Amino acid sequence: MSSPKARFLTALTYAGGLLFLAVFIGPILWFLALAIRPADTAFAMPPQFTFEPTLNAFRHILVDPGVNGPQVVNSLIVAIGAVVLNLPFSVPAAYALSRFKLRGKKHIMLWYLGLLMAPPIAFLIPYFILITRIGLQGSYFSMVLVLQTMTIPFSVWLMKSFIDEVPAELEEAARVDGARWFTIMWRITLPIVRPGIIVTSMFAFVFAWNNAAFPLVLSARSTATLPIGTLGYFATSGVTWNFIAAAAVLAMIPPMIIFLVFDRYVVRGLTFGSVKG
Amino acid sequence: MSATIARSPQALPPARRSFVRRNLPYLLIAPSVIMLLALIAYPLLFALRSSFYFWNLQIGPEPQAFVGFDNYVQAFNAFDFQDALVNTLILSIAGTAIEFVLGLSIALLLLRALPGMNVVRALLILPTTIAPIVVGFLFRYLYDPGGGLITWLLKSTGLPIPPEGLLGSPTTALAAVLFADVWQWTPFFAIVLYASLLSVPDEIIEAARLDRASAWTILMRIKLPLIRRTAVIIVMLRFMQLFNTFDTVLVLTRGGPGTSTRTLGYSLYEQGLINFNIGLVSAMTWITVLIVNVIVALYVFFAFRNEEW
Repeated sequence: MSSPKARFLTALTYAGGLLFLAVFIGPILWFLALAIRPADTAFAMPPQFTFEPTLNAFRHILVDPGVNGPQVVNSLIVAIGAVVLNLPFSVPAAYALSRFKLRGKKHIMLWYLGLLMAPPIAFLIPYFILITRIGLQGSYFSMVLVLQTMTIPFSVWLMKSFIDEVPAELEEAARVDGARWFTIMWRITLPIVRPGIIVTSMFAFVFAWNNAAFPLVLSARSTATLPIGTLGYFATSGVTWNFIAAAAVLAMIPPMIIFLVFDRYVVRGLTFGSVKG
Repeated sequence: MSATIARSPQALPPARRSFVRRNLPYLLIAPSVIMLLALIAYPLLFALRSSFYFWNLQIGPEPQAFVGFDNYVQAFNAFDFQDALVNTLILSIAGTAIEFVLGLSIALLLLRALPGMNVVRALLILPTTIAPIVVGFLFRYLYDPGGGLITWLLKSTGLPIPPEGLLGSPTTALAAVLFADVWQWTPFFAIVLYASLLSVPDEIIEAARLDRASAWTILMRIKLPLIRRTAVIIVMLRFMQLFNTFDTVLVLTRGGPGTSTRTLGYSLYEQGLINFNIGLVSAMTWITVLIVNVIVALYVFFAFRNEEW
């Protein structure tokens, strides 16, 4: 165990671990630093690693003039709306695909998967024209509706993997007792998979929260989400990088918290349930 | 007929219930399928029709002239679209390959299961959680030719940096965009491959070791074949996400300089939402949709052909 070779390998492993942390987490911390450093040190050469931290940028984006405060709310409305609307569509489908033998199951599952890989930008221009024509331009509903092309297939796949794990014997027992299928689904299976539904909703939320393409085209000034707000600073010239970073940090926080809290399910969430992790 | 109508209401439920019961799984799937079909059929049919017209939204709200296949011819002959196709393929293939190899290396390192490495594993996933558009901002800052951290690091190691910056030079811009994606998604491969490698039974590895198989042989002949299904799925996902790259490019380079970082996704965005050339962008949309479908269909056919569901 403590042969020189083994000790060398151990040291190498730790060195590798530290290197990876520096490479993959370092840039995130550097962006966080940008959000709380004095504006005039943002592009200092050589880079300044120590500085007097300030919350000026956060005050600017949230309080005075606080352009991004409402956008946080908009992002929440759109992402939560997308998750809530998706559940009545995806839960029954996931249940059916998990519990019943049906013709073409493989093709249906692959069709959902194919939708997840479709280029969103290809749909955007037609949506833009349609939604303008029916007068829904800039509405939350337009974004929530279009996001269903991602949240429904994603949730069906992930939720199916959770329902697959509920032993069929439980349902059999209820069936023998004369319970109807709806009672069985509603009273037995769904309560058992409630944690799975929560996990699915959380990752679907991240999916919707991080989406920038749809709001870019479909939102109005008053319904713009946080990523679009960040893009707004970009259009104006001048030293606004602190504001960009502050808004970006706000956009980063919810997904990071969800991934750290649901650490156990991250692999499953990222692979739509196909890898149990 | 009249007999059916005259049946008492109490007689109806069993008949209806049996219809429901017979078709139950399909009835449960139907709402999601109908919803999704409605959401994708409209844009596709709309684009199909528009692709045969000259239609610039800045000129008028209705198609201006029927032009047959002109838009398709124009799309294929446009150099920027050809460049976009090449760039997109380079990004997708190189990105997926680099991220897979790097991710696998990190996964193997994590598998050594030393104390404390669990923290590394948990934190490593953070880049993957960030919105691609935010990753764009982050790297635009890191690449800044004046005071970017990456620019400074490369300069202090004596590497030549183009004066217009890594994103401003046609020779480095595509690599810089690729690096941002590799940064964000290598952890994804690392974490997923790690989790699936953990599930490879120890006894098999032990048996191979007793047979004096080298670590390399064990990896190539035992571990990788056993996690083939996972690898197939995540490679496909990543390839297609890269193929659809759009928001990162929008923030990092807007497809420039020239056409050096233009992707198919960005071309569609530019023609549709900057130039409002609806006819041309519709033709490009259909070309893209067909390419995507061919890739996915081929991949699915070869990857899932022996799968039971």
